[in-house]
Amino acid sequence: MQFPLLTLIVFLPLLGAVAVALLGDKRASAVRMTAMVVAVVDLALVALLVAGFDTSAGMQFAEKVPWVPQVGITYHLSVDGMSLSMLLLSALLTVLAIVASWRTEKKPALWFSMLLLLEVGMNGVFVAMDFVLFYVFWELVLVPMYFLIGTWGGPRREYAAIKFFLYTLLGSVFMLVGIIALYLQTGTFDMLVMAEAGGLPANFQWWVFAAFFLGFAVKVPVFPLHTWLPDAHVEAPTAASVLLAGILLKMGSYGFLRISLPILPDAAREWSGFIAALAAVSIVYGAALAFAQTDMKKLVAYSSVSHMGFVMLGIASLTPAGLNGAVAVMFSHGVVTGMLFFLVGMVYERTHTRTISEVSGLSSKVPVAAGLLAFASFASLGLPGLSGFVGEFLSLLGAWSSHLWPGWVIISAAGVLLAAAYMLWLVQRVVLGTPSEAVAPIGDLTRTEVAVLMPLVALTLIVGVYWDSLLRFTDGPVQTILALMGGI
Amino acid sequence: MTYVLAIPALPALAFAVLAPLSRATRNRLVPLAVAAAGGSLLLSIAAFAAVWPGGYAEEPAYHASFVLARIGETALSLGFQLEPASAVMLLVVTVVGLAVQVYSLGYMHREDRIGWYYAVLSLFTAAMLALVLSDNFLGLFMSWEIMGLCSFLLIGFWHEQEAPRQASMKAFLTTRVGDIGFMLGLAVMFAEVGAFDFATVLYAHEWSAEAATTVALLLLFGAMGKSAQFPLHVWLPDAMAGPTPASALIHAATMVAAGVFLVVRAFPVFEASGVALTVTLVVGLATAILAGLLAAVQHDIKKVLAYSTVSQLGFMFIALGAGNATAGLYHLVTHAYFKSLLFLGAGVIIHAAHTQDMRQMGGLAKRLPTTSIAFGAGALALAGIVPFSGFWSKDEILTVLYHEHQYVALGFALVAVFVTAFYVARLWFRVFTGPTQQAELREGHRSMLVPMVALAAITAVIGFFGPVLGDYLGYKIPWPDPLLAGTSTAVAVAGMVLGWFVYGRTTQVVNTRALKQRYANVYGVLANKLYLDLTYEHFLVRPYIAATHALGRFDAHVVDGAVNGAAKLWVRMSDAGRAFDVTVIDGLVNGTAAVVKAAGARVRALQSGRVRGYQTLVAGAVVLLVIFILVKGA
Amino acid sequence: MAVGLTHLLVLAALLFSIGLYGALSRRNAVHVLMSLELMANAVNINLVALSRFLTPVSMDGQIFAVFSMVVSAAEIGLGLALVLAIYRSRRSVELDAVQELRG
Repeated sequence: MQFPLLTLIVFLPLLGAVAVALLGDKRASAVRMTAMVVAVVDLALVALLVAGFDTSAGMQFAEKVPWVPQVGITYHLSVDGMSLSMLLLSALLTVLAIVASWRTEKKPALWFSMLLLLEVGMNGVFVAMDFVLFYVFWELVLVPMYFLIGTWGGPRREYAAIKFFLYTLLGSVFMLVGIIALYLQTGTFDMLVMAEAGGLPANFQWWVFAAFFLGFAVKVPVFPLHTWLPDAHVEAPTAASVLLAGILLKMGSYGFLRISLPILPDAAREWSGFIAALAAVSIVYGAALAFAQTDMKKLVAYSSVSHMGFVMLGIASLTPAGLNGAVAVMFSHGVVTGMLFFLVGMVYERTHTRTISEVSGLSSKVPVAAGLLAFASFASLGLPGLSGFVGEFLSLLGAWSSHLWPGWVIISAAGVLLAAAYMLWLVQRVVLGTPSEAVAPIGDLTRTEVAVLMPLVALTLIVGVYWDSLLRFTDGPVQTILALMGGI
Repeated sequence: MTYVLAIPALPALAFAVLAPLSRATRNRLVPLAVAAAGGSLLLSIAAFAAVWPGGYAEEPAYHASFVLARIGETALSLGFQLEPASAVMLLVVTVVGLAVQVYSLGYMHREDRIGWYYAVLSLFTAAMLALVLSDNFLGLFMSWEIMGLCSFLLIGFWHEQEAPRQASMKAFLTTRVGDIGFMLGLAVMFAEVGAFDFATVLYAHEWSAEAATTVALLLLFGAMGKSAQFPLHVWLPDAMAGPTPASALIHAATMVAAGVFLVVRAFPVFEASGVALTVTLVVGLATAILAGLLAAVQHDIKKVLAYSTVSQLGFMFIALGAGNATAGLYHLVTHAYFKSLLFLGAGVIIHAAHTQDMRQMGGLAKRLPTTSIAFGAGALALAGIVPFSGFWSKDEILTVLYHEHQYVALGFALVAVFVTAFYVARLWFRVFTGPTQQAELREGHRSMLVPMVALAAITAVIGFFGPVLGDYLGYKIPWPDPLLAGTSTAVAVAGMVLGWFVYGRTTQVVNTRALKQRYANVYGVLANKLYLDLTYEHFLVRPYIAATHALGRFDAHVVDGAVNGAAKLWVRMSDAGRAFDVTVIDGLVNGTAAVVKAAGARVRALQSGRVRGYQTLVAGAVVLLVIFILVKGA
Repeated sequence: MAVGLTHLLVLAALLFSIGLYGALSRRNAVHVLMSLELMANAVNINLVALSRFLTPVSMDGQIFAVFSMVVSAAEIGLGLALVLAIYRSRRSVELDAVQELRG
């Protein structure tokens, strides 16, 4: 048997979480160091995985052990390029979140152990190929995130945390129903086996798709199931916001790609028009709402709704370009929105306000912060040469050449303009102009803060300039999914 | 010939070096950017020579392609190709680029962010060079957008002031309206052809008229945004809030011409469509005349030139719409030189006069001799007076219209020529003749004058090389037809005479109040910029902002309200459930518990707490067990 | 006279009875522990004896006895620790005085 690299990647943070919790609040510096080392080692392991990954092959590094053989539950971990890109993002953002929240003073042991526990769930979701295992990780994510928002959040943190928890739990309960229905129909919990076998009755597929849709769409989130997101983001501490937007949202779209499309192909085709409609509405609606916000964090939160709409549009297209675009938006959104949330958090720490009208003229006072904020904004509005463009462009490309009604594509393309409107308006008010009262006394980013942002800047540029650096990982899985769907 | 790649790479490198540095270091390294621009110019000359003598060729002289991404079997590539059209464009961009960079050394030397200015200028130059070298529409679009970013940054260079900030955003968003068309055009192209490279899209693919029309119109929409064609021209005059040399490069010579260049590149698709050509022609005519009229009522010298640029771009579209890409390209080239010259001249004038308002200028010819001569060359070229460059290229456009039997269009074009000559004369007499209104007027610094003189020289002589250029581009540019050339010159002179009549006759400060009152209706429409800005403001921008706020309330009250309502309903239901719970369910549970409790009271006596008691009990039980087994076993 | 199985079983039974008596009659916790140990050893003797005489080939009983001794050693250690703890808290090892678990 080969070395269980995936198990290690998934469960190493769990060990770290326990160790950190045992160390306790009094030994804060040891806690920080432990958390940091564990997260960095985990990232290194993922890097090892990337290095050893063969882009021409499908599922790799498989670990398959019977778990509850009586009902056919297996401990099945495996990665393909799509999982890998998400895994990398998860490991990287966790490290950055730990560094960015280095100075957490309130219950540091609990904070860092929750971050690590979150990483267990996030990593697990992307590599679990057994439904039961997948569900366990899926739900595991909720718990630390609940505590991260509920303990360290803003004034309305409890409301936001409970809303987040219940809303997504409600969605995943439907997903559980779907999983059980699938098990009863097929007699296995293995996703890959299920996808290979295919041949589920169309009517059955429709209902199971509906159940999964509710579970995944809440997480993405798709209009009109998005209202937990702004509340959660506004109340969440910076690091939690980053992980929430960077990884948790992707779990929903990942679910569509990994489960709904290959296992329920007929239903996916039937639902695709509806999903495209919701995607187009999400894009425009999210962009319009982002424009109306007065709080920077809320603006970024609503922009996430808009961007995730492009993911859904790409998925609905059921074309190679569209699906590749969807994964590319997922990756890029994780990087760019992570960057935006970090920057908004850093500005907030200094000015103690997130109200857009109270912050202006950053560029003449804090050029580094302002420059990076402008950079992230342009990446977010889809400037070619930066990562945001890749996915949105491919999504539109795929959607146009697909069976979808062109109207949805045109509406979505208008979202590109609206994205420029809200992002530039933010840049214009916050970055440019003369320094406001709140900005006058502040200092520029520290070296640590710049170090947190630099990997994200680098990824934005690399993916934006050389698309293949990302797409070489995603194209294989995309082709597999489409082949399993019987070709379009 | 790999050095072709270095042409865009040099300025890109300059940007990459300058951008991350601190402000002070950046300011010191400005010469680096100028050196990069100079290097690009030298390499461009080499590239131009390498393609000599040009003409039509199956294969580009140099071609390099890099795979950007693979999607299944389809490979998306970014490539660069050198052929006559791109070689000519390289020269235009690098010559004007270097001129502007040298000029800016003088013009911008007091700015404390001059390093940043040069960094963005370099990035812009790199993007424009990549655009003209691109061998496919995707790469063209990508550099197109990066130029949009640079334009945004340079228009908003003085971002502490409100106007440049607003103008930069307006420019980016308006051009992005067009870019949606471009993007969708690419999507349709991909769905139709499955590729973006010119060779496949333009030559290998059999276009149906319908698909060609869709793609061509979408691309045209993109070009209209970038090239500020009616009705998307509104951003360009506002863009004059940026530094004047940047306006010269971006908003006169190069970026705005990218739209024309896009149509030139996509020309086979336009030809396959037919309809798209007609639309292009109409757009060009409308723009050329309307923008010319608007230029005639502006008081801001830069805005006059901005509207003039819009109008001249309209001329290029006319040429394209008439079915002759080379004529459009020719005018693009001549216009790039003379219009950047005019802008650079305007920069000197603004520095000297400390105002942009022409009503406060006058008599500058005596004080700024070099500038006035150079500016004069540019102005005559713009008006279309022989032998300056504009005459030749404009005449070529008119010839094309004549040969294509587009007589109506020819008539309109002549009107545009007349209007152009009029506003040129108006500008000239307002600024350079008449009484001097300022005490202190100083000629520009040498670093500013040298580029202007160089551009003026090019403007003066380039027209004589028209046929050579035509051969180079693989198309015959004939010497002007005497009849047509005579007519157009007569029209232009008539326009200038009218201009002189109104603005140049008097030795007093010109006052046009009486004239404005007499034509109050026409003047009102023109002074309000055809009410287009107001229309956009009131029917698009403000309703959108209002809609976003309304949607915000909708989101909070309806969508989120539904969620919170559901939660509240659930709380209510659970309250009702609790009442049931307490009486019935808990009753049952508590009853059971009571029974158990009573039994427990009896048994507790055994629980003495004494270890020995338990031991005895256990031992006794064992004995009983043994006895039981023995008896049972027997 | 060779020592047979019966002898050993009788010895074990005697030992067990003594242990049982001690465990029931003594109040001192240490004595009780000692008695318990006697009973355990009686069982060990039985294990060894039965294994030796009934299945001479296998060594199951002997191995088991060794295990049992190890476990009872641990157990007695724990027991003594408890006794010590009790002694510390109430200065006595009288079992009858410990009645906290009275129902």
